[in-house]
Amino acid sequence: MKKALLFSLLLSGFQTTFGQGSEELVPNQAMAVVSINNVNLLQKISLDELVQYEFMEEVQQELFDGSTSGKTLKDSGIDFDQKLNVFFGKVENYEVSGLTFGVKNKKQLFQVFDDYAPIQSSYADIEFFESYFNRIAIQTNRGILFRITPNMDIVNEITDSIWYARGNEYPWYNDDFEEFYNILEEEGSEEEIEFMNEMEIEENTSNPTDEEPPVADDDPNTKTYYELRDSVELALHGQYLKEFCDELFIQKNTLIKNAPDFKEQLSHDSEGIYYSNNSSGSWYNQDLTTMRMLYPGFYEEIMDLYAGNRLLGDMMILDNNIELTLRAKYNDKLGSIYQSLTDTKFDKNVLKYIHQDNNSFFTYNVSTRAAYEQWYDVVTPILESSDDALISSYLLMLELMDEYINKDALFGTYKGSLFGTYSGIKKIKTRKIEFDYDEENFEYIEREVEAEEDMPIFAFGISTDRNDIAERVLKHLEKINPDCHNMGKYWQFDNVVLNAAPLYILTQNDLFIMTNDESLAKDHPNGYGDKALSKKIAKKAKKSGALYAYADLGKAIESIPRGLFNDEENEIIDVIRGKSGTIELTSSETSTTETTFNLRYNFEGDYENSGTYILDLINSLYVISK
Amino acid sequence: MRVYQVIFIFILLFGASGCIEIIDDLSLNSDGSGTFKYNLNLSASKVKINSILALDSLDGKRVPKIEEIQQKVQEIISSMSEQDGISNVTLSEDYDEYLFKFQCEFESVEKLQIAIKEVVKSQVRENDLEEFDHNWISYDGKKMSRSVPQITIKKSKEINQNDINLLREGTYTSITRFETEIDHFENQNARVSKSNKAVMVRTDPYSLTQDHHLLDNIIYLVKTE
Repeated sequence: MKKALLFSLLLSGFQTTFGQGSEELVPNQAMAVVSINNVNLLQKISLDELVQYEFMEEVQQELFDGSTSGKTLKDSGIDFDQKLNVFFGKVENYEVSGLTFGVKNKKQLFQVFDDYAPIQSSYADIEFFESYFNRIAIQTNRGILFRITPNMDIVNEITDSIWYARGNEYPWYNDDFEEFYNILEEEGSEEEIEFMNEMEIEENTSNPTDEEPPVADDDPNTKTYYELRDSVELALHGQYLKEFCDELFIQKNTLIKNAPDFKEQLSHDSEGIYYSNNSSGSWYNQDLTTMRMLYPGFYEEIMDLYAGNRLLGDMMILDNNIELTLRAKYNDKLGSIYQSLTDTKFDKNVLKYIHQDNNSFFTYNVSTRAAYEQWYDVVTPILESSDDALISSYLLMLELMDEYINKDALFGTYKGSLFGTYSGIKKIKTRKIEFDYDEENFEYIEREVEAEEDMPIFAFGISTDRNDIAERVLKHLEKINPDCHNMGKYWQFDNVVLNAAPLYILTQNDLFIMTNDESLAKDHPNGYGDKALSKKIAKKAKKSGALYAYADLGKAIESIPRGLFNDEENEIIDVIRGKSGTIELTSSETSTTETTFNLRYNFEGDYENSGTYILDLINSLYVISK
Repeated sequence: MRVYQVIFIFILLFGASGCIEIIDDLSLNSDGSGTFKYNLNLSASKVKINSILALDSLDGKRVPKIEEIQQKVQEIISSMSEQDGISNVTLSEDYDEYLFKFQCEFESVEKLQIAIKEVVKSQVRENDLEEFDHNWISYDGKKMSRSVPQITIKKSKEINQNDINLLREGTYTSITRFETEIDHFENQNARVSKSNKAVMVRTDPYSLTQDHHLLDNIIYLVKTE
């Protein structure tokens, strides 16, 4: 699969297309698809330039072995006029992952994919090639490379069933021991391993060596548990492979046919699109099996709540910009909760506490009270529809809490809106120990002196109508905690941040703010005044829906010491270093059917064009993944 | 990764990233017995140390919990206490300031050296380290020779260039005291105390990684009748 990944990486820098093509082979089981066009990028990046990247050298080596050395990507047999579609899907019985692509020259393609051997096809007009569990299917001018992985829970269940039916004992009794032994082998001293070796041959061990499960070599008709499991997995793989291929090549049940949203996304002329169906398959990722078996009605109601849940994205590359737009779509029921959540006025007070020179900040503006009320209205009928005693008791508990809890105090204390800032690395005052030496005999004594250390400076605040409650708690803490001090306009907790620096709490302007920024607490407890956020950015934050985030990458990245990252992380960060730019995340007003998020990466500095910039990033990711 | 390795990296890398202070203090009696103190002061880097201890892993290596460090340190102290010719082993640990003060008494510098080698052997896998054949300290009643174990230098050279540059900010102080007066010594960077009974050599850990002989010294005592 490494070649496939490299292949997708390669093509991700290169694709675009129109009309019927590789996207027609994206299977209906796909839950998430990234579809990449190449024309725009290809217009900007020459192949000669491309192959200079380290990841491209590797791709070339992988794609072209010795017999094809000296060739270029143009010789790969891939049709660069078609889209590349990378997909992942999960159904109850299996997972499927892979990619679809255009085929220009089949002979050249299989000189590249020389590990794949042709196999007999049961499908008209489809040629099959296999390499272990991977398959390539070619249909005229398009192909799909895919892999089916059976659900291991099903594999294990069937294996166990056969294993016990054959009269075998519990197969895992030795696992803990082996795991422990392996850890010792890796970590332990020779003495410890010797001790464990001795233990293993003792007669009273729980795993006498003469009772090892029989292996195939002793009796070809008797399989060990692992061999049996492999056989079950292989058989299921064949079965699911047939199911998958029948659906794709006979019934032609493809994603583009069944998902109008996906089809519509493909019509966009952006460099890439993203499609994710969060309403069905993703639920198999979560352990809701018990709920489905015990409370099928309740399970269906919950599923209904998430019906129609989709994420649809577009990636656009413009001069000096990379823009990602993500639309979250949902149904009216869930949408009504989201809409209530975001149906609130922006708290302007937070803007006072964001300095104009801030490296990065975010604001999140929601109403927990409205969301709760709407959630209560939606969920209560679902619970009421169940006759199950347990669910009925949950409903009763919810109704009682709703009656007795003081919602004014609760939601007044945490209204839902919050903000956070990062102001870079600053020197903060700490204490350190120094040794003083006498000159007589170089004896020394300790003394505590002031010191300075680098620390990231942050602030985090929530909107509140009930700072009186916070004040009550703080006053209590002051009595019992000697590190807590009331400083008038702020509260100070000594040695809280990394056991070395104070944490300051401000309860001003209907905000509850925690920060390690001494300047904010001491000099600006009422906000930064004319040094607060610029009007232009403040306006954007206010206009944005529930979420707004802004980061000056140049400042933020440069302010973080290299020492905080390892070499590999620095490889990625180095791409951004020296290329000052900003990231801005905005969200639209939330309706009952969708919310749109927009991420814009605006960069300046040392680059030739947007495509090069992206390839720099891809190259960094490649280097670190080696 | 074993805890002692992490402790080592912890000391050399993270401590050094801010500021590390090491005092290696040997007081010798006329009969060859004496007291050895080793102080490690990371208080100037406590923010960084605390931030690292808050992580699960760093550079792909697991970061140990304080309790694990304490346990390993106690093992080393117990092991040292059991060595022949070593007594009154104490360790003061301050995990607020990251200040550690080790002290022990020894019957002779030879026994001290053997004890340290045995403790190191019990903690490392490579029992055939060349360093175990090398002597760092010797005393014959008239002359004392001291050097820094090369294993320390080798390990510190494994630190990457970015971090090793920060070692310049630290200090390594080596002090040797006697009951009798000092006649002369060979290390030109060393200085003698007013009492003429103690010698001090100071450098920074970075310089030590570049020249591990910086702290080497041969000290000659005034001949007594």
